Amino acid sequence: MKTRLDMDKIAKGLGAERRGAVVSSGGYFGARQLLADIEARFHVPSGGGRPTDPSWTERRLLPLAPRTLKRLEELAAKVREHGGGNLEPMQLAALLIEKTTEQLSEGEAEELIRPKRRASH
Amino acid sequence: MYIPIRAIYIDRWMAKQRKKRTATRKPVLTGRKRVLVVLFVPSLERDGSTPLDQPRWVDASLEMFGRVFGGATAYPKAKGIWRDDERGGALVKDEPVVVHCYTTPADIQDAHNLAELGVFCRKMGREGRQGEIGLVVGDEYFAIRDFEEE
Repeated sequence: MKTRLDMDKIAKGLGAERRGAVVSSGGYFGARQLLADIEARFHVPSGGGRPTDPSWTERRLLPLAPRTLKRLEELAAKVREHGGGNLEPMQLAALLIEKTTEQLSEGEAEELIRPKRRASH
Repeated sequence: MYIPIRAIYIDRWMAKQRKKRTATRKPVLTGRKRVLVVLFVPSLERDGSTPLDQPRWVDASLEMFGRVFGGATAYPKAKGIWRDDERGGALVKDEPVVVHCYTTPADIQDAHNLAELGVFCRKMGREGRQGEIGLVVGDEYFAIRDFEEE
């Protein structure tokens, strides 16, 4: 679940005007946000090992299509090239799942699983 | 043969402890730093030609974010443009530095923290002779245009 921020309270506290929502999931800022996310959240566990988000305590097997895994591998390699540490494909998958579930409303989730109606007479 | 039996007992105990901790976890994690605050530090004054002491303001913003919210990252210069509607739509081209700060929902909605952030933005706007200071909090853009001291 995502905690809704009280934007009016923030605007009042800052002495600022609200100018509307921004979308920063793609492009330069999306990439920068992802790198900043990794930098801010990933820590080396106290017992050693690969840096990870300490709040990721649950483990599940996740079935994937080969093309999805390939895409994750490509994206993780690009993130590593741009300074994203040793990001592994499934760590990227966990980040993406987390972001999407936070942004997705219940209605949108229902839409995803509802069978698409075919045009018929 | 005694030791392995004891090891199984410890494993079960650990599993029980983990399960209990998961069940009592709050569904909304307000303590995690997952709200992104983005501040644009300009390179020029509103007239579009007078340079600003940008490194000073970048350092000052990092210090403010570090003190108030626990940390921030300043990225290398970007290219930017801003339309100054109060000067007949003149386009001001500059090279802003983008500062990212991750914070918690509680910290960004704290009145004292917001006041400190607001004071900093107004000071930068006033002393840097800006038309507007831009700030993104979460998924919303905020514009500060009144730089009067409170």
